[in-house]
Amino acid sequence: MAVAVALLTAVAALRAGRVRRLAVAVLALLPVAASSLLINTLLPAGGGGVTTAVAALLKLLGVTLPLTLLFATTEPPDLLNDLEDRGLGRRTVFVLGAALAAVPRAQARAAVEVIEAQRARGLDTEGSWRRRTRGVLPLVTPLVIGSLAEVEDRALALEVRAFGALGRRTVLYPLPDSGQQRLARWAMAAVLALGLAARAAFALAGR
Amino acid sequence: MIVLEPASYRYPGASSWALPPASLELRPGDVLGVRGANERGNTTLCLVAAGLAPVTIGGRLRGRVLVDGQPTVELAAHQLAQRCGVLFDDPAVQLTGLHGTVYEEVAFGPCNLGLAEAEVHERTRSALRLLDLEHLSGRNPAHLFGGETQLIALAGLREVHERHPYDLGYSRRKLVAIAAVLAMRTPVVVLDEPTTRQDRAGVDRLAAVMGHLRAEGSTLLVVSHDPAFVRRTCDPTVRMAAGRIAYRAAGS
Repeated sequence: MAVAVALLTAVAALRAGRVRRLAVAVLALLPVAASSLLINTLLPAGGGGVTTAVAALLKLLGVTLPLTLLFATTEPPDLLNDLEDRGLGRRTVFVLGAALAAVPRAQARAAVEVIEAQRARGLDTEGSWRRRTRGVLPLVTPLVIGSLAEVEDRALALEVRAFGALGRRTVLYPLPDSGQQRLARWAMAAVLALGLAARAAFALAGR
Repeated sequence: MIVLEPASYRYPGASSWALPPASLELRPGDVLGVRGANERGNTTLCLVAAGLAPVTIGGRLRGRVLVDGQPTVELAAHQLAQRCGVLFDDPAVQLTGLHGTVYEEVAFGPCNLGLAEAEVHERTRSALRLLDLEHLSGRNPAHLFGGETQLIALAGLREVHERHPYDLGYSRRKLVAIAAVLAMRTPVVVLDEPTTRQDRAGVDRLAAVMGHLRAEGSTLLVVSHDPAFVRRTCDPTVRMAAGRIAYRAAGS
């Protein structure tokens, strides 16, 4: 199953021109693969051997590759738009969107506002890595407090734009959904159901 | 229409009244300018007149405030938002932070109202045009603005198409915030310091926008430190002093 998912993901990445991004994700898993192999083959208490190590790695690939491909090919606003178009509530979409936007916003705040403010107060944020590491701690507190204070501003921004209005929101850019895409989704759901059924059957047979 | 008959307001947890009893009556088409030094209650007057105080930010209101004929305390926040548009002094408070492009940010309010897709686009385009911000709108401008995209390219502004609202400078961000207010098409508009850090062209554009709103019959309350702008766009003018409306003067 994991092999099938990894292969399908690779084919999809090839079609979407995102092979490089997927390759980076695979490379990032190498240390985990190496340690899994080490534990399963060399250490006496490890157990399983090479087969178990490979199985674990394939499971890991099966989980991480589709997610990597999803975020490599889909802009978060498109994903949220489509979820909303399919009936997900505006508050849930907002929570997801805010979570996705929080990281780049915090990065931008750290990169510009906080660092500039600290530099103006004489903090050394450049030079050797030791100096830079020492400079990180004073940035953390204003970053966290600033992010928390921002929550109140966001709430006000939403209120004055009628976010709490009743009924469905308008979806600004409904995404095209071709027959092929729908077919592919149903096929994947069917494969998933078959996989789960097969697994259950094996488990029952093994009892 | 905005009516304060008379109203006073105290912030949550505060022991004194930020706005001592004040009376106002603005009818459709009226444009009231409010001047006054910092910390004199200008922003508080905006929040009270728009109903955000106390409906959204809490605190205690004594007296009655009516927006578009309805007492503010009887309205939910989203109902207020459909009657009164508010521009905050700081545009960072106005923007949702959820959208990657100026266009989506401005369209956020109309989308919340569940309007037809075509109307959302029409309101958004119209607000951006009024403030001359089409070139900042982002995401597929050819689809949104048709042939005007070529003009944008000719003007050498293509590079700013994909700009995130937070990547813009203060003055443009303020204009985006104003466009977001305009896109709501409320009968009452309250603007707190709309001209802050605007150059001459920006101020002229804002004066034109206010003329447009006035012609449409909107009720406007504008707080500004720019006496020339207030004289040019407002009639009458009041001055805030220690939270009180100190005197009234006819505009130009």
